[in-house]
Amino acid sequence: MKRNVAIIGGGQTYHAARRHDVDQAEMVNEAVRAALKDARMTIDEIDLVILGNMEFFEGVHLTDCWLVHGSGAYGKQGVKITTGGTVGATAVCAGAHHVASGLFDKVLCIGFEKQEEGDTGAILSGVANPLWGRSMAGAAVGYFAMMGSSYIANWGATEEHSAMVAVKARQNARKNKYAHLKLDITIEDALNSRMLAWPIRMLDMCPASNGACAMILADEKTAKARSKKPVWIRAMETAHNEQFELDWRDVKTERLIFSKAAAGRLYRKLGVDDPAKYFDVFEIYEPATWAELIWYEDLGLCGPGEGFRLIEQGKTNIDGPIPVNPSGGVLSTNCIGASAMLRVWEAALQIRGDAGEHQVPKDVRRAMTTAYGGTNWTVMTALSKTLED
Amino acid sequence: MENKTEYKPFEVDQHLTAHGNYWAGKAGSRFFTSLRDKKKLLGSPCKACNKVFWPPRSVCTFCFGELKDMVEIGPLGTVETFTLVTYSEPIQPRTAPFIYAVIRLDGADTGMAHFLDEVEIGKVHIGMRVQPVFAKDRKGNILDIQYFKPL
Amino acid sequence: MATKDKEWISIPMTVDVPYRFAAGGYMTKCLTELRDNGKIFAVECPKCKRVQLPPRVVCAECHVKNEKWVELPHEGTLMNFTIMYLPLTDPTTGKPHEPPFVYGSVRLDGATSVLDHMVEVEPDMDKVWVGMRCRLVLRPKEERIGDLSDIRYIEPLPGQKKPQTKSR
Repeated sequence: MKRNVAIIGGGQTYHAARRHDVDQAEMVNEAVRAALKDARMTIDEIDLVILGNMEFFEGVHLTDCWLVHGSGAYGKQGVKITTGGTVGATAVCAGAHHVASGLFDKVLCIGFEKQEEGDTGAILSGVANPLWGRSMAGAAVGYFAMMGSSYIANWGATEEHSAMVAVKARQNARKNKYAHLKLDITIEDALNSRMLAWPIRMLDMCPASNGACAMILADEKTAKARSKKPVWIRAMETAHNEQFELDWRDVKTERLIFSKAAAGRLYRKLGVDDPAKYFDVFEIYEPATWAELIWYEDLGLCGPGEGFRLIEQGKTNIDGPIPVNPSGGVLSTNCIGASAMLRVWEAALQIRGDAGEHQVPKDVRRAMTTAYGGTNWTVMTALSKTLED
Repeated sequence: MENKTEYKPFEVDQHLTAHGNYWAGKAGSRFFTSLRDKKKLLGSPCKACNKVFWPPRSVCTFCFGELKDMVEIGPLGTVETFTLVTYSEPIQPRTAPFIYAVIRLDGADTGMAHFLDEVEIGKVHIGMRVQPVFAKDRKGNILDIQYFKPL
Repeated sequence: MATKDKEWISIPMTVDVPYRFAAGGYMTKCLTELRDNGKIFAVECPKCKRVQLPPRVVCAECHVKNEKWVELPHEGTLMNFTIMYLPLTDPTTGKPHEPPFVYGSVRLDGATSVLDHMVEVEPDMDKVWVGMRCRLVLRPKEERIGDLSDIRYIEPLPGQKKPQTKSR
């Protein structure tokens, strides 16, 4: 990168199915104030505000304009980001590019969603191609179910394996005071939860949450002067997918699909040979349990068809050798526009050692995050504790 | 295209229906319950900026200060600008013709658009003094003010 | 933080938006042939030879113009499936598909792309499997409108049995 970029602060709201006590601007404001407080900054110091959410998911267009008092963007330079489930990570990525370019020194990035207010299902149907398949669209649940059936048929995993992911996420969420689904559940609970679309059961899917996250990015000089624990953004990578192809729904595909393409490029940038050893913690975007298993494989944490062995052996547990989603992940909290930013922010908290009860019990110097959204694309971010790491 | 067959242009009509429920939050809920139950209009004062906002909000747009108090404003106000709407659209709450006016309530520093009735367009002018006419059956939304009319 | 003593106000809304989409050259041929002749037309990339359905002007991978049209057979292989227990609404008609039903991706023989559709089998794990051979069943010509719903469903080819798998 042209200039080094650091995360010098961040904050989030608590996440819940209902937030009737705040309007959208008030909810976003909670996260912005938390981030400013964390960075010991005032809004006057911010050069640029980047706000992200999914278009019309809460029934409002142009949220960057309507929430201007809550976001603090009044009179400042600003831009709105809307890129599907990746929104929050795209906002961070855009913010980091703005700082790296040398044009801005202190950038506030915000991601939010108030899912209860709008018609996510109806708006999501607009994601399907209107002429080819919208009338037959299987919704997000159908998509992840087909991924699960392909995984089971090709790799020989069972529903118990997805249940293990479901349990890990919600048990981790119990340690995260901001998480939405803090469920004390067992494998049996997951296997007995309501069937939505075989092999996806209720506890295999993420909730619909309300919440916001905000992060402050700065250049190296500002970061070193202002922050005791800056977390450095070392690499970012994005990749889009081709439409009407099987991608994640054919686990044996040999094509270089979005997830593998982006991870490969990111690893080459950083010189990563073995990501499971290189990174100390992962925060990945898993709207459904099966997606987590496929991420393990596409990120190269194990070989193809071995993802379910990792969860079986407890390797990705909070205290395992490759901790994945100690925060509880998207399976526990999905305020869509904030979800991908929460991955980056939670990874930064792990590096700072400030994650609290869900801090992984080891020295965390490097972290990797993924985002996922739209008709399959990703934004990946690699973070480190120092510029030497 | 290799194939020489002529195809007629192909168009597909669809529509998308989305339902929602917008929550008014802290400042908004106080404003609408006061309007509905007491016919009293509230604004949000920012002492630092010496401004009173209508519609009310929890954060000062200018200084980012938290606004927790509310003060009664209006009910009388002044027309800041206006227009006569002469075309109808499904999105509009009324069919044309009708007058929209931006009205600044007494005690507030910002104005808000609403209907202006019981007056001919030729008589409307910037600076005109107006009063609200409250709906009899009030539901907690902005149409609890049915319209404004000249004093 | 939400207190019980306060009343929170909400305002309901409904938005209904009409759209008119132009299919463009490639989709016009594809949808017209499906509607009028019951044929499935795809395009083949001159470089990578992948047969792409629905047809599109440019191969996303090779960035070259797709110019060769290929008529696909109506038979293919089920690549994945789900048994859907949720009433999914067809957003173009507002009508629900009544659950439970089977839904999956079929790869027509010779194609690279897949087609997601209803599978006409009992929602029974012994009656449907990945790798099942199947075929498209079209609506009668007078009912076809030039949409994927002109295909009524995918049905299994007769005379097949689910292969036995080792239980773990």
